[in-house]
Amino acid sequence: MDTLITHSSILIIAIPLVTAFLIPLVGMTSKKARNALVIVSLAFVAFLVFALAKDIAINGIHIYTLGATSPDLTTPTGFMVPVRIILEVDGMSILMGIIWSIVSLAAAIFSLSHIASETGQNRFYTLLLLMVTGGFGMMFTSDLFNLFVFLEIASISGAALIAFRTKFADTQEGGFKYIVVSAIASLMVLFAIGLLYAQYNLLNIGALAQVIQYTTPDKIALALLLIAFTMKAGMVPLHLWFPDAYSVAPASITGMLVITSHACMYAAFRVCFTLYGGMLDAPVVGWILIVFGLLSMFVGVTMAVFQKDVMRFMSYHAISQLGYMWVGVGVGLAVLGNPELVATYGRDAISGGVFHILNHAMYKPLLFFTGGALFHRTGTRDLTKMGGLAHKMKWTTILYIIGTLSIAGIPPLNGFSSKILIYESVYQFHPILTITGIIVSILTLASFTKAFHSAFMGAELPEYKEVKEVPRSMIIAMVILAAGIVFITLFPSLIVNWTIHPAADALIDQGAYITAVTGAVP
Amino acid sequence: MTSILESGYAFWNPIIWIIAFVVVMVVVYFFRRRGQKTYKKDTAQTQIFLCGEEVPEAGQRHIRVGNIYWGFFETLKEYYNQVLRPHTGIINDYVLWFVAVTAVSAIILLIAGLAK
Amino acid sequence: MEYIPLDFPFLAAALLVGVSFYIIIFKKNLIKLIMGVAMLAAGVNLFLVSLGYRAGGTAPIYTDVPEGPMVLSIPQALTLTSIVINVAVLALMLTMVIHIYRHTGSLDSEKSRKLKG
Repeated sequence: MDTLITHSSILIIAIPLVTAFLIPLVGMTSKKARNALVIVSLAFVAFLVFALAKDIAINGIHIYTLGATSPDLTTPTGFMVPVRIILEVDGMSILMGIIWSIVSLAAAIFSLSHIASETGQNRFYTLLLLMVTGGFGMMFTSDLFNLFVFLEIASISGAALIAFRTKFADTQEGGFKYIVVSAIASLMVLFAIGLLYAQYNLLNIGALAQVIQYTTPDKIALALLLIAFTMKAGMVPLHLWFPDAYSVAPASITGMLVITSHACMYAAFRVCFTLYGGMLDAPVVGWILIVFGLLSMFVGVTMAVFQKDVMRFMSYHAISQLGYMWVGVGVGLAVLGNPELVATYGRDAISGGVFHILNHAMYKPLLFFTGGALFHRTGTRDLTKMGGLAHKMKWTTILYIIGTLSIAGIPPLNGFSSKILIYESVYQFHPILTITGIIVSILTLASFTKAFHSAFMGAELPEYKEVKEVPRSMIIAMVILAAGIVFITLFPSLIVNWTIHPAADALIDQGAYITAVTGAVP
Repeated sequence: MTSILESGYAFWNPIIWIIAFVVVMVVVYFFRRRGQKTYKKDTAQTQIFLCGEEVPEAGQRHIRVGNIYWGFFETLKEYYNQVLRPHTGIINDYVLWFVAVTAVSAIILLIAGLAK
Repeated sequence: MEYIPLDFPFLAAALLVGVSFYIIIFKKNLIKLIMGVAMLAAGVNLFLVSLGYRAGGTAPIYTDVPEGPMVLSIPQALTLTSIVINVAVLALMLTMVIHIYRHTGSLDSEKSRKLKG
C-alpha cells in the first residue's frame, strides 16, 4: 500500500492514459467488457485520489520526480536546478483532483446510456479517458511546459467530444469555436512560457518562484498567462465562445468540460499566487480579477434569464457562478501583501472562493445531466417545446430541484454555505461586491424557476405521452452527485477544515511549495 | 462539531435549520388535517375552473418560456439591446476581444509597475 | 553572418504573430482562419527556437563537449512538442470545417453560424 501511495500521483495520470489506448482493443471483443473497463479504471483512480488525499492531510505536500531513481530526488546529482518534470500535489491540487475523479466517474456512468444509440462509441470512451488524463495532469504538475501539454491534451479531446455527434450542424460549429479559442489561448501560454524561460532558464514553478524578479517581460508574461487561462475559464468579456461550445456537447461531456474550466481557473491561481507570489502588484491584479468577476456574475445571469435553450441557459449560469469564485479569490489576492487583512478576511475570502469551486463542481454537472436527460427523452433542447414532464420524469424533477436550490444559494444546501463565506468576507473589502452577489443570486433563482415551470410544470402535453423516465445508469450518475451535495450540506465544517482551509493555506503560503521542490529555505 | 461552519461574523448550522423546517412542516400538516376531508373524484370538483370560460387544451394553455417574465424584459429592453450586441456568434469577434483585453491588462500592469 | 543583428529572429516572430492575429480577426473565410492559427503556431515556435541561440555556439548534439558555448537544447525539445500538438489541432480544425461546409453549405464565419446570443 505504501508504494501505491508513493507512486499514486503518476499512477493517477497513467492509468486513464493506458486504459484509453486499451479501449479500442477491448471494444472489438465485447461492449460490456469495454464499459466495465471504463468504470473500473475510473473507480480505481478515484480510490487512489482519496488515498493520496488522506496521505497529504497527514504528511504534507507530495512530490514525485519523473525519471529519477527515487521519487523525491528533485535535483539530480551534478545539477544545480531541478531539470526533471516534477509532480507536486498540495492541498489545492488534491481538492481539484477529488472533484475531477468524482465528476468523471459520474460522467462515464451517465454516458453508458446517453450515447448508447450512437456509432463510434469506442472512440468516445477513448477520448473521454484522454480528457481525464489531461485534467489530472493539469492539476498535479509543477512544471510550466507540462501544464501546457496537458492543457492541450484536455482541449483537443474536449473539442473532439463536443463535435462527436456529426449529424447535427451546431455541434460542429461549437467544436470549431472551442478548438480555435483553445489553440489561441494555449499558444499564448506557450509564448509566455518562452518569455519566462528566456530570462531564467527554468521551467519548474517552484524553482522559478524562487528567482523571479518582476521585470517588464515578466509583466507581459503575467498578462498573457492570466488572460489566456481566464478566457478558457469563461470570464466575461471573453466568455462569448462558452455557451456555443458547452450547449451542443453531449451532456456528460459538458459536465466534464465545466471541471476543465475549473482546472484552467486553478492554473490561473497557481500563476498568480505561487509563481509570482509576493513579487506582483497584488492590489492591481486582484482588482482586475474582481472587476471581471463582477462583470461575469452580472452579465452571465442576465443573459441566462433570456435563453430558450436549456443547455445554453445552464452554460450562462456556469459563467455567472465562476464569477463568484473570481471575486472571492480576487479579494484574497488584493490583500495578499497585508498579513493582518489576510488573517481578518483574506483567508476567508479565498476559502469561500475555493469552497464555491467544490460546490459548483457538485451541482453544475448535476444540472447539465438533468438537461441531458430532458434531451434524451424529448429529442429537443428547446424549452418552448417542452412542458408537463414532471408527471413522467419524477426522479429528474427531484434532482433538478436539488440542483436549483443549491445553485441559488437557498439554505440548507451547500451553495448557501459557500456563498455566505464569500458574502461575509468580501463585504469587509467593499460592500458593492456583496450587494451584486445577492442580486445575482435572486436572478439565478428566478431564471431556474422559469425553466422549471416551462419544462416540468403544467399539464401533460399530448406529444410527450410516451415519455418515460431516463435509464437507470443516468439516474445513478445524477444520484452520485446529489449524494455529494447532501454530504456537503450536512457537514460543511468537516469539509472546510479537511479540504478547503488546507487549499486556501496552500495558495497563500508560497514558501511551502518552493521548499518541497528545492529543499532549501527560499 | 462537524456541522457548524464559522465565518468571520457568525456561524451556520444546517442541522438546526433542518430541525426548524421539520417542526414547521409538522405544524402545516396539522393545519391541513383540519380542512375538507372528502371530495368527489371525476366530477366537476377536480377540473380547472376559469370563471366559467372554456378551458383550452394542454398545449394551448401552457405558458411557454418566451412569455414568462415579460415585464422584466420590457423594463430592461435598452440594457438587453446593449448587452446582446457583442454576442454575435462570429468567431473573429471572439479573438478580437481576447487581443483587446490582453493589451489593456498588459498596459495596466506596466503602468502600475511604473507608478510604484 | 555577422551583419544580421541578433534581434532579427525575434522581430520575424513578432511579425508572424502580428500578421496571424490580423488574419484571424479580420478574415471571414474559415480556411483562412485556420491558416492564421497555423501561422500563429509557426511564429511562437520560431520565438522558442530563437531564444535558445547563443552567439558562436555549437549544436547541442555532442557527448564530449567541445570548447565554447553551446546552443540551448531545451527550447528545441519544447518546439518539437509544440509542432506535434499543433499538427493535431490543425487536423481537428480542418475536419470540423469539412462538416460545417457539408451541413451549411458556406465557409463564411458569419453566414455559417447558427448559434448566437
